[in-house]
Amino acid sequence: MGFSRLRTRRMCRLACCGAVLGIVVAVPLALARTPAPAPQPEKISFNEHIRPILSENCFACHGPDSGNREAGLRLDRAAAATAELDSGMRAIVPQEVAESELIARIISDDPDSVMPPPWAKIGRLSAEQVGLLKQWIREGAAYEPHWAFVAPTKPDPGPEGVHPIDAIVTKQLGLRDLTLQPEADRATLIRRASFDLTGLPPTPAEVESFVADPSADAYDLLLDRLLASPRYGERMAADWMDLARYSDSYGFQVDRPRPTMWPWRDWVIDAFNQNLPWDQFAVWQLAGDLLPGASDEQILATAFNRLHQQENEGGSVEEEYRVAYINDRVTTFGTAFLGLTLECCRCHDHKFDPLAQKEFYSLFAFFDDVDEAGLYSYFTPATPTPKLRLLDRAMQTRLAQAEEAVGEAATELVTAETAARAKVKAWLAGKATRPDALAAAIEARLPGELVRYAFDQRRKDGKFASLLDPPPADSTAKPVAGEEAGDSKKNEKEPDKEIKPADHAASSPGDNTLVAGHSGQAIRLTGDHPVKTPVGNFRRSEPFSVSLWLQVPEAYDRAVVFHRSRAWTDAGSRGYELLIDKGHLRWSLVHFWPGDAVSVRVTEPLPTGEWVQVAVSSDGSGRAAGLKVFVNGHPAATEVVRDNLTREITGGGGDTITIGERMRDHGLKDGLVDDFRVFDRALSLLEVRDCFAPGSLAEALAAGRDAEAIGDYLATALDDDVADKRQALEDTRRARDDLAEKPPEIMVMRELAEPKQAYVLNRGDYDKRGEPVGPATPAVLPPFPSDQPRNRLGLARWLIDPDHPLLARVTVNRFWQALFGQGLVRSAEDLGSQATRPEYPELLDLLAWKFSHPKAEGGFGWDVKALLKFIMTSRVYRQQSIADARTMADDPLNSWLARGPRHRLPAEMIRDGLLAACGLLVEKQGGPPVKPYDLADSFKPEKAGSGESLYRRSLYTYWRRSGPAPVLEAFDMPNRVVCVAKRDTTNTPLHAFVLFNGPQFVEAARVLAETLLAEQAGDADAAVVEGFYRLTSRRPDEEEQQILSRMVADQRTWYGAHPDEATKLLAIGQRPRNEQLPEVETAALAAVLSGLLAHDESVVKQ
Amino acid sequence: MTQQQTISQPAATLPSRRQWLGSFGMGLGGLALAEMLGSTAQAASTPGVLKTLHHAPKAKRVIYLFQSGGPSQLDLFDHKPLLLERTGQQLPDSVRGGQRLTGMSGNQSSIPLVGSPFRFTQHGESGAWVSDLLPHTAGVADRLCFVKTMFTESINHGPGVTFMQSGSQIPGRPSIGAWLDYGLGRETDDLPAFVVLITKNKGGQPLQSHLWGAGFLPSRHQAVRFRSGAEPVLYVNNPPGVSAESRRRMLNGLRQLHEHQFAGTPDAEIAARIANYEMAFRMQASVPEATDFSDEPQHVLDRYGPDAKDAGSFAANCLLARRLAERGVRFIQLYHQGWDHHGGIKGGLKRQCQETDQPAAALVQDLADRGMLDETLVVWGGEFGRTNYCQGLYRPGADFGRDHHPRCFTSWMAGGGIKPGVSWGETCEYGYNVARDGVHVHDFHATLLHLLGIDHERLTYKFQGRRYRLTDVHGHVVEGILAS
Repeated sequence: MGFSRLRTRRMCRLACCGAVLGIVVAVPLALARTPAPAPQPEKISFNEHIRPILSENCFACHGPDSGNREAGLRLDRAAAATAELDSGMRAIVPQEVAESELIARIISDDPDSVMPPPWAKIGRLSAEQVGLLKQWIREGAAYEPHWAFVAPTKPDPGPEGVHPIDAIVTKQLGLRDLTLQPEADRATLIRRASFDLTGLPPTPAEVESFVADPSADAYDLLLDRLLASPRYGERMAADWMDLARYSDSYGFQVDRPRPTMWPWRDWVIDAFNQNLPWDQFAVWQLAGDLLPGASDEQILATAFNRLHQQENEGGSVEEEYRVAYINDRVTTFGTAFLGLTLECCRCHDHKFDPLAQKEFYSLFAFFDDVDEAGLYSYFTPATPTPKLRLLDRAMQTRLAQAEEAVGEAATELVTAETAARAKVKAWLAGKATRPDALAAAIEARLPGELVRYAFDQRRKDGKFASLLDPPPADSTAKPVAGEEAGDSKKNEKEPDKEIKPADHAASSPGDNTLVAGHSGQAIRLTGDHPVKTPVGNFRRSEPFSVSLWLQVPEAYDRAVVFHRSRAWTDAGSRGYELLIDKGHLRWSLVHFWPGDAVSVRVTEPLPTGEWVQVAVSSDGSGRAAGLKVFVNGHPAATEVVRDNLTREITGGGGDTITIGERMRDHGLKDGLVDDFRVFDRALSLLEVRDCFAPGSLAEALAAGRDAEAIGDYLATALDDDVADKRQALEDTRRARDDLAEKPPEIMVMRELAEPKQAYVLNRGDYDKRGEPVGPATPAVLPPFPSDQPRNRLGLARWLIDPDHPLLARVTVNRFWQALFGQGLVRSAEDLGSQATRPEYPELLDLLAWKFSHPKAEGGFGWDVKALLKFIMTSRVYRQQSIADARTMADDPLNSWLARGPRHRLPAEMIRDGLLAACGLLVEKQGGPPVKPYDLADSFKPEKAGSGESLYRRSLYTYWRRSGPAPVLEAFDMPNRVVCVAKRDTTNTPLHAFVLFNGPQFVEAARVLAETLLAEQAGDADAAVVEGFYRLTSRRPDEEEQQILSRMVADQRTWYGAHPDEATKLLAIGQRPRNEQLPEVETAALAAVLSGLLAHDESVVKQ
Repeated sequence: MTQQQTISQPAATLPSRRQWLGSFGMGLGGLALAEMLGSTAQAASTPGVLKTLHHAPKAKRVIYLFQSGGPSQLDLFDHKPLLLERTGQQLPDSVRGGQRLTGMSGNQSSIPLVGSPFRFTQHGESGAWVSDLLPHTAGVADRLCFVKTMFTESINHGPGVTFMQSGSQIPGRPSIGAWLDYGLGRETDDLPAFVVLITKNKGGQPLQSHLWGAGFLPSRHQAVRFRSGAEPVLYVNNPPGVSAESRRRMLNGLRQLHEHQFAGTPDAEIAARIANYEMAFRMQASVPEATDFSDEPQHVLDRYGPDAKDAGSFAANCLLARRLAERGVRFIQLYHQGWDHHGGIKGGLKRQCQETDQPAAALVQDLADRGMLDETLVVWGGEFGRTNYCQGLYRPGADFGRDHHPRCFTSWMAGGGIKPGVSWGETCEYGYNVARDGVHVHDFHATLLHLLGIDHERLTYKFQGRRYRLTDVHGHVVEGILAS
């Protein structure tokens, strides 16, 4: 039993790291056929020959992961691998094959000692692998660091007059007795380059002019023209959006649309078109907010870090998702910029790369210092914080004007208040008579009081009357219809309509009981049952106060005293709330918690087990300084928790004050509340004191000693002039706030003043905090620069050092992939120890070195356009894409580069290219996403747009993660749930349905047919030839022309016999048809063109 | 109907796959070469990566009736008299044992136990406990294996359903059906190997396409979702103005163009494209044929219940699942939403059961009558169970709700190598914890793969530097529920 359990545990461990299977079963068919083996090496290279064997078969148990190392043996480091083990053996004895236990074990026939062990289900090492290991040991068992962790060195200039790329490739091909293919013909070349740089095919005129241009620099000029086209940015942005997991929806379960992320997409397009150097492209997105004097554009770029999925499913644990977001940021950073599979180290040390779990959380520490919530709001459309307001110039001006008006009104209010206080001072100094308003006040109740609940008795209808309401004329009145839940629901929507005039009663289920109170009875709260009042829907510009007596049995970790809001996490706490937070009172106005709120916390803990009078007020400024808390008639010292309220606190439901309970929050369990009073003004100190000690106000006035306090009272409560000025201030604030609601906002990064503490999370669980960690970069990579701050900006600058071994390699590899369909390292997402080994490491290093080094040193200084042009001017790029059958069979993936690229176009290029060839593409750059026909057929159907939105480039198609656009999805566009560095290129029957039957393409074929038939004066045979040309950029040869003619004739016959069907076919699509043309002929041509849309050469780049 | 006939005629006159491949000098060997060369062709009856199965399979295919939202095991299968006695009392801390609760009930100041308002009786020779909400299921109890002790790690729907369907709580891993398509390939030339059917017009917790996605596997392994409307597969129908005959003529010409091109450009992708366009043409006939119930006799329709002819209903989807199974579809994934009874469990659960009870039982019986149950694994279950305590306020006699409960819940399985007429595992008398023989999600997956002849540790895919499996690094086959 014990044995088998142990065994299972070990198997699990092994499987996790994956070194479990022989290659035949484990890998897709595509990889099952190994290209012809490289020639037997003369000298063994650790990286080339040995590391792949050890990584695949041994590292899982004898590698970097210290937590799961077997027998104390570590094979990824020379010293450890050659050291004497506890058993007295040495795994590797350099030069001594016979003494190296490693060899003995791998060739052993004893199931108990053979390596890899049979239970690991890896299989045996091949004879060839054993041979390599032996030879390596004989030669001294030299180790090398993994190639990708060593910075490329300055490349040799290579032979004069030969493109450096061609020199490297030709040399290697020579070893295989191969040469480059001849240069592709010009029509093919312009089509290839046009798709690669603009995502669109060339027009017939462009093809002809290029084919006809004999000049030597024609190709050069072509590349320049394409690189300068605004379409270039659109094409390049598409790839980056996969990495950035860009989407127009939040993702996860509910996947609500998030309508304002697209300005980031437009920024990316623009950045490519402006040729923003790649190092800056990286810095802005990782840390634009931290750049000195950061511009809005630089802050906008950091939206990159917020494009991960977000959750709002009810009941989710907030911290669990906050951690998930940061994990996503870190792993996206790892894949997109480092080409490392960092996610492996979330739960344990990496099995293959020297990356410790602690190092994952050290990177985590760079990305967690933002004021964010783990859940976005279900009940409000609030943009999760931190965020950037997107202001155009006009709005900037209007907001500035509105702010100025507020400032002026505030000044006038101060003047009026000063005058009022002066009146009191003059009176008390005997220099003037008592202000009239004060005389009236002594008898009157406190002005502006809306409700007051004594909780002394329940009415017959179960409610609590407000003492301010007149007693009902008929005291035997029946309860108001729609008691309890039904009633309160209505109240939430229309707080005032259901309330009878002068009935401001509060409702509560009987579970909240009446017990002896501070005076008379008080209500005792269960924590699960609310007391609902009908008042309190204050805006942030409206001053108000609440006073109550409160007794709590214990220092709650968290409890809601009262609030106006729908819910906590589900509504981002929108509204206002008085909480007990770790035993202290906390008073807040909230648009979206935590990033858009003002909040103050009382420094002293709230006393327990005794009655305390608490009053809170807001002065309408919407600032933390405008929030006051009084305890037992004295102003309480507070600390500012948040001071960044930018939007309104109303909306989202729960429009009136509720006491003691909130949806999915901690209620005031066993707390007592008495004498609950609400005012639509900020109370002065004397008034608050009067709430604490009734009658004290009159006494203070009679005594006439405290000129300050009485002046304050007069100014706050009574003086008409001050009241006018206060109203004027409130009006200007309201106008400003209304304006501030308008501009869209986008999620961005904004560093907190105080960094958060990060921890190693054991097993990756959000709630299993281990050792605290600070921001740091992995030890295997270059050291963190000592002159840089330990934040995202420092991290970004660490990354862009020209001698960083990864950034340039990862980036140039992806650009190579964009052009050739495969990267030089095929695993574009992983350059670590498990990466597919590049066929041409020196080519990768050449490109990487040049890309990252300054122009003065012979590099490109991160100039992307220069890099692309460099690659595209090589013969390697320009050669024909078809080689002889043997070479193609031996090297199906074209790793050797013995031919040019040939692969199916990505989704966007198929749709955009066909729309362009058919004359339907609408080229308009940027703006909100659009909804072409197929959105109506998505898993989450959306009404399709109309007019030009049907024909925009696919980059602008509305992207919802849970229901992506079916046409693009069919052609392997990833759903953008996570960062993707490389797409599939599948070939399935569903493609036929989309291209033959999808309305987008049926219409496109019809419109092309109409255009061509009109151009060719009704000659369908000529038109179909021209159609073939537009779709493939190639003229059909004679045999093809004959086939095309037969196809047209076939369809002509059929539609001739079924003219009604022709009418139906031509009616498809919103684009009006050309009524001048004969229906049968047009339909016949359209049907043939519909097939040509799906022709191999229409959807393939070669 | 008439359309179907006009489609099938030209289809019948099609050259066979061998003929047309031969016709341009390629032959099947050529196509196999094309696949070997790494083309991503999805041509006819594509094999999977597993050249041979790891052991003899018991099941050839799976029909998974996913009940989304978390059906209440305490009101359907897991009979707990103690809860009736203790209704209204607090859940003892000793039973809860520090289990985290959702944000919904986690902040409640009291968590009162509540017994089931439904009557439980024992059924069949096996004496399985089933509540009176599921009379038809009770009627086939002796064919079912009730797993009383399923457990999971998620407390919310999004991660819970994702876990159940892909072995990971975070989206991005391949779904079960995608793994099977990848490993086993397809049995039929004319239909996808992995089909998803979703009951129409159901509210409740949303479903997302990643649940039946391919994750990091090549995207061809993702499911094809059949829709309930006129077009079961996206754009499968010819557009207005195009008939099967005119399409066939066009395809003939296109094929000639491709053959001509292939002669000068020996790229396997071209051959694969030809094959796919032809398969698409066949699917245009086979998909409508499979989804057309007009050849089903009345007594079969009656067995599935009154909704059987209402396309997109759970009943119609169960019947369609059987038809797809007959036609060689490997993994048929149904979804039925609406089990998330945080409140109103008395009325809500009854409605759900009325929609699902008869069709699910009928499917089992129908498969059995056709001799297909032995090789078809049928699974019924959700992503987690529901709490033994009341969510929100408890009032005696009033309707109530239950919150999400990951620690134990019931699924049933039938056919395909599963031992019939047993209840597996036992929960504690409070119905809160597993008392013995728990079956984790990974164990369930391992067992499912085992029944299909696959060692769950040996069906792997290398991605981002490591080998992934459906069962991650866990999972044990539940030997005790395997038929001998």
